[in-house]
Amino acid sequence: MTTATASRPETEKSAFDPRVEGQRLIKEWYAELEQANELGQPVANVFVMGNAVEILRAFDFKLVFPEINSLQTGVRKSSEEYIRLSEDYGMSPDVCSYVKADVGLILKENRHPVGRIPKASLAIASNMCSTFIKWAEIWERWLKTPTFVLDLPGQRAAGWQVRPGDAQHSADSRWVEAQFAELIARCEKITGKKLDLDKLAEIEDRVNRMVGHWNNVMMLNRRTPAPYNAMLDGLTYIGIMNVHRGTQEGVDFMRRLEQHLEAKVARGEGRVKDERFRLLFSGTPCYVSMRRLVELFENWGGVFAYSDYLTFAAGGMDAAELRYDTSRPLESLAEVTAIAAQRGLSNQFFAHERLAQQIRDYGTDGVVFHGIKSCRFVSSGMADTREFISRLDVPTLYIESDLIDPRYWADAQIKNRVDAFFEALGQRGSRRAS
Amino acid sequence: MIYVAGIDIGSTYSKALLLDESFKVAGRAVRRTGFKLALAAESVFDELLKDAGLERSQVTYVAATGYGRYTVAYRHTQLTELTAHARAAVHLFPGTRTILDIGGQDIKAIRVDAEGRVKAFRLNDKCAAGTGAFLEKTARYLGITTDQIGEYALRSKNPKPVSSVCAVFAESEVISHLAGGVPAEDIMMGAMVALGGRAVQLMRRVSLEPAYMLTGGMTRNAAMIHALEQNLKDKLQVAPDGLGQLNGAYGAALLGLLRVQKLIAEGKPIPATASQINLNEVTAKRRWSAIATKKAAPPCATGACPTPVRIVRKPLEEARA
Repeated sequence: MTTATASRPETEKSAFDPRVEGQRLIKEWYAELEQANELGQPVANVFVMGNAVEILRAFDFKLVFPEINSLQTGVRKSSEEYIRLSEDYGMSPDVCSYVKADVGLILKENRHPVGRIPKASLAIASNMCSTFIKWAEIWERWLKTPTFVLDLPGQRAAGWQVRPGDAQHSADSRWVEAQFAELIARCEKITGKKLDLDKLAEIEDRVNRMVGHWNNVMMLNRRTPAPYNAMLDGLTYIGIMNVHRGTQEGVDFMRRLEQHLEAKVARGEGRVKDERFRLLFSGTPCYVSMRRLVELFENWGGVFAYSDYLTFAAGGMDAAELRYDTSRPLESLAEVTAIAAQRGLSNQFFAHERLAQQIRDYGTDGVVFHGIKSCRFVSSGMADTREFISRLDVPTLYIESDLIDPRYWADAQIKNRVDAFFEALGQRGSRRAS
Repeated sequence: MIYVAGIDIGSTYSKALLLDESFKVAGRAVRRTGFKLALAAESVFDELLKDAGLERSQVTYVAATGYGRYTVAYRHTQLTELTAHARAAVHLFPGTRTILDIGGQDIKAIRVDAEGRVKAFRLNDKCAAGTGAFLEKTARYLGITTDQIGEYALRSKNPKPVSSVCAVFAESEVISHLAGGVPAEDIMMGAMVALGGRAVQLMRRVSLEPAYMLTGGMTRNAAMIHALEQNLKDKLQVAPDGLGQLNGAYGAALLGLLRVQKLIAEGKPIPATASQINLNEVTAKRRWSAIATKKAAPPCATGACPTPVRIVRKPLEEARA
């Protein structure tokens, strides 16, 4: 566990506000994107998992994250407008709301609440989610954006896990590396530049440092009281982990964030004034109503100390052994990619044991499952996992809404479930009290 | 004498029950909630006091429950109906382990321990096809009142299945059956069988552990109890003396009375009511979805445009003054 220190300069503590700084970085990133086409900069659409961002950055691509564009329409309370546009076009209410918000964005000629989204010269998808592939097909057909689909090895069986150095991992890495060679050739053709391996190594070094800080940031929330809420503050942090992965700004943010949270821990300052219950959030957020959802829990003194989403949506590089070997940048990128995306995804597959471990690590009193209407992929295993967790005598709560579709948020119903959950938790007493 | 009231403001009906210090029921009231919840809370309390022959000042403590619990301004505490139902069920039938509550707009399955603590609960999802409101709507199509539903359905010889999982589509199905000449009692019973199936499925999700108890307004409906027991293949306990519908209010009053006893034993005062603590507490918080679009201020007819200022004094301040 990270050791808390109180020796940081006072100015550093007070000058850095992660929320304000995170918002500034996101705003700047969108501002850069707005100018990309005019300046003739290459642009790539990428997803948060399995995206080869390091290679794209080495070619100076400006990165568009369509998932983040969609969730930002939710955060800015305009997702329904975009979703309805795609439904007017003919998409079913059951289609992923991220896809529908993005289709709405295309139908609005790329006018996003934060600015204009540039047209991409390349889109990287992967088989980590089957919707990614069909989503990229829409760009290819409508916008003539060429797609490159990475075929990344998945988990093959329960309890089966590839570990660095074993024969399976070696074979998987060669498979991924061969695809990277093809991707590099495509990038060289688009940009007219050769891959600079030194530059790739520098980017990987920055990713290593970001991931190191990120692991420490997550560890800090094992402390009581938890210095941040994994499902509110944590979402800002993973936004930076994705958008600024491999940039100096990203490294600086994560370093300062770790220092800021260390200082909070040293001061004994928690996210919730009177922390009564520590909870684990499993599933994806409801970006339109996330603040409200967190408020419903925090009113009872409940804080989300951890969420599997923090690993799932941050590229899966939470395990300490996943570091790039910058002396072999390309081979190492393939080796890490062959495992990291799979681990991110495996947070959803066979999540039982991992969740049980996280319940112990973070000392949580209960688990909240959030199923989302528009993605059965991440929600379908929850009943089974919930059953497993319940057998460990850990209270669980299941609530359902959506990623960004506000029509699936039923405030009275959700509040009633949350209140009843806390009443039951109160009758048991918190884990720390018992 | 100590009197504690349990007020259950449900989506369809508001229920109130009064317990005296020996845990005896001293009064009860039921009325339709309507759309003015705070008004329903006042009216049902007035009716409760009338039934018990008491004045407001004689009631020591009020515990509110149900969806409208926060609109009961005179409450001392509030709790969810899940906790309330659990406590009352085990108090009335100590062997109860699984409770089914069919309300106007939702169904709840609750598994409890021997002390009446909630071990697990499940509520129906956003579809209303398995709720009391669905049966009421079906009855309305068939031209019968809510009170007649049970008696009417028991005449059925060949229940007609209603398969849709959506309340609106299920209504279309009912109309289609009527058009096809299916006897109305068979449609009514078919709707109950469908509802019963969904309700028992929900009970399975908290794992079926006998003994079972049915609570809520559906306890007045013999046909529904029959349909549920057939599906469950076991007996459902129902509170005696028509208390089934008031089970939530009963549980709230029970927990309230226990709390009062504890306060007295510890020599602590009865806390203030919600309205005494904060006059504006029942005012809903503004949320982004509720924020009205910016409207231009209407032009002032007089030209002077004085801003009307009203000084509102809180009752506590008045009392002090």
